[in-house]
Amino acid sequence: MQRMKNDVIRRRNILISAFVVVWTAVFQYETLRYKYLGPWLGRDLPKIRLLFPPAGWIMFYRIDPAYGMAEVYGVRPGGPPELLDPHAMFETRALGYDNIRRNVLVGVLTRDAAAPFCRYLHRKFPAYASFSVVYAEYPDLIGEPARVRRATAYRCEPGAP
Amino acid sequence: MTGPGSSLRRLWRRAFLEERPSVGLAAFRPAVALTVGAHVLPSLFELQDNYLRGAFKAKNHWFFPQEILTLIEASPDWLVIGMASCFVLALASFALGLRTQRSAIAMTGGCYYFYALNAMHIGTLSFDILLVTLVLVCATEYPGDALSLDAVRRGDAAAHRHRRPFFVQRLLQLQLTWTFWYTALSKISAGGNWLTGQPFLSLMQYPPEGVVRAFPLRAWLGGQPQLCHWLGVALVAFEFVLPALWWIPRTRRIGIMLGVAFQLMLWGILHVPTIFLFMFPALMGLFVPPERIVSWIEDRRADAQAGARAVLVYDGACGFCRRQVRRLQAADLFGWVRAVDAATLDAPERLAPGLDAARCRRELVLIEPGGRVSGGFAALARLTRRLPLLWWAAPALALPGASWVGGRLYRAVAARRRRCGDAAGSCGTDQGACSSNA
Repeated sequence: MQRMKNDVIRRRNILISAFVVVWTAVFQYETLRYKYLGPWLGRDLPKIRLLFPPAGWIMFYRIDPAYGMAEVYGVRPGGPPELLDPHAMFETRALGYDNIRRNVLVGVLTRDAAAPFCRYLHRKFPAYASFSVVYAEYPDLIGEPARVRRATAYRCEPGAP
Repeated sequence: MTGPGSSLRRLWRRAFLEERPSVGLAAFRPAVALTVGAHVLPSLFELQDNYLRGAFKAKNHWFFPQEILTLIEASPDWLVIGMASCFVLALASFALGLRTQRSAIAMTGGCYYFYALNAMHIGTLSFDILLVTLVLVCATEYPGDALSLDAVRRGDAAAHRHRRPFFVQRLLQLQLTWTFWYTALSKISAGGNWLTGQPFLSLMQYPPEGVVRAFPLRAWLGGQPQLCHWLGVALVAFEFVLPALWWIPRTRRIGIMLGVAFQLMLWGILHVPTIFLFMFPALMGLFVPPERIVSWIEDRRADAQAGARAVLVYDGACGFCRRQVRRLQAADLFGWVRAVDAATLDAPERLAPGLDAARCRRELVLIEPGGRVSGGFAALARLTRRLPLLWWAAPALALPGASWVGGRLYRAVAARRRRCGDAAGSCGTDQGACSSNA
C-alpha cells in the first residue's frame, strides 16, 4: 500500500517538475526573445502565440520626448470641423483608470482601421456628414511642450464604405 | 547521499514539490476574480459598440493566430451575447470558489474569446500579464481548496489546512519577481532609455490628454530635469531591489508594504490598468507563508472558542440536517458558532428563555452571544451575515420579500427533511425514525 502511494507521489512529482521546467522555459523565452535572444542570434525567433511576453520591455521601457495621438473632427453640412470627445466615441468606462488617456484611440490611425472606423463614426454620430481623422504629434515635449503638428490621416466621406 | 546533486534535489523539492497549505492560493482567488471582472466587465456593458455587428474592433495579430481571429470574428451576435452571459456566470462562480477549476477554465476561455473579438478596450499589456497568471490559476484545483463554496459543499471545516504541492504558488512568486527584474533590466538595456534619456521628465510634460494624471507635484517636477533623471534611476534601482526583499524572510514584510505603496503611487500618477491596483499587491501577498495564514485562522478560532459563541441547535436525528450543519460549520471560518444536536439538550430554555424542545425539533434555531434568537429561514439569513464564506448571499436574503419566499421554502424543506437520506449512508441508521416521522 505504502509502495503504491510512493509510486503515485513519484509520478506526480515528475509531472509537476516537467510542468515547472516547461513553464519556466516558455516564460523566459518569450521575455527574452524579442529584445535579447533575437539580436544576439542575429535572426527573428518564432513567437509562441497566445502567450505574450509577460515581463520586461513592454512596460514603459522607453519613453521618448515625442508623443503622438489621434484626433477626430466631425463636420456638419456647411459647418466648421468640430473636435469630437473620444469619450463620446468609445463609451466603455474602465474601472479606476481612463483607457482613452492610455491612447487607445491611436489605433484608428492605421489604413486598415479606416473603413470600419468610418462606418462606426457614421453610426455613432449620424448628425455629422463627414469626419477627419487627424494625427496630432508633439515632436519635442521637453524642448517645446506646447508645439503640436497635425496631419490628416484619412477622411470619412458620406456614403463611403 | 550528499553532494551538489542531492542538494539541488532538496532545493527543488522544497521550492516546488513540498506540500504546504493551499490557503494562500485560495486567498489569491478573489483578487484574480476582481481583476478579471474589473478588466472585462465594463467592456460588456457596451456590447453594441464593442463586440456586436457594427462595433469598431481592433485585432491583436501578434498574439492570436489569424485562423483564431477569423473564426472568432465570424461569431453571430447571439453567440457573443451567450458568451458574455457564460463569462459572467463563470466569473461569479470562480470568485465564490464553486467548481473552481472548471469555472477558472471557463472564465479564462471567456477572457481569450473577448480579447480575440476586440482587443481595443481590454487588450492592455497588463491584460497579457493577467492571462499568464490565469493559465497558472487554471492548472490545478488548489485555488478552490479553501475559502470556497467547494469547501462548504464538502463540509470541510479544516479546508484551510489542506496541503498541496507548492509549485503553483512558487511559480506565481517567480512570475512577479521576473516581471519586476525584467522591467528594470529593459529600462537600462535593449533600447530602454532610463539611464541615457529623460523618460521621467517626458512623462511629466505629457499633454493633458495623456496617460499621466494631474497629481499635485507634476507641474513642479516638469521643471526639474536633474531631479527627474535621478528619480528615474532610483525607480529602476527600486525595481531591482524590491523582489529581493520579498524572498528574504526578515525583509519580507517591509518589501510587501513598499511594493503595495509603489503600486498605489503608480496608480496615483498614471492611468495604469486595474491589475496594478488589484493583482500585483495580491501577488505580493503570495510571499506570505501559507502556514502563517493557517495560524492566523486557528488563532481566531481559538479566541472564538475561548469567548462567548453563538449556538446553533439542529435536529441531529436527520441525516439531511447533519449534512447541512456540517456545511455551515465549513463556512464558519473563524468558529463563531457551536452546533448542538437538539436531542442532547436536557433543558433548551437554559440556552434562551422560552426556547422549547418542540421548536428545536421543528426548525434550526440560532442563539447569538447577545441573546438574540432566530429560527428557520431567519436563522439562515443571520448566519449569512456572520459566516464569512456566506457573506456573498447576505444581500440577496435581505431583499424585500426574500424572508416571505425563503420562509415558505424553508418550511417546505423542513417538513420533508427526514425523507432526505444522508449521502454517506448514515441515514440507514435513521431510517426507522425517518419512516415513522414521514
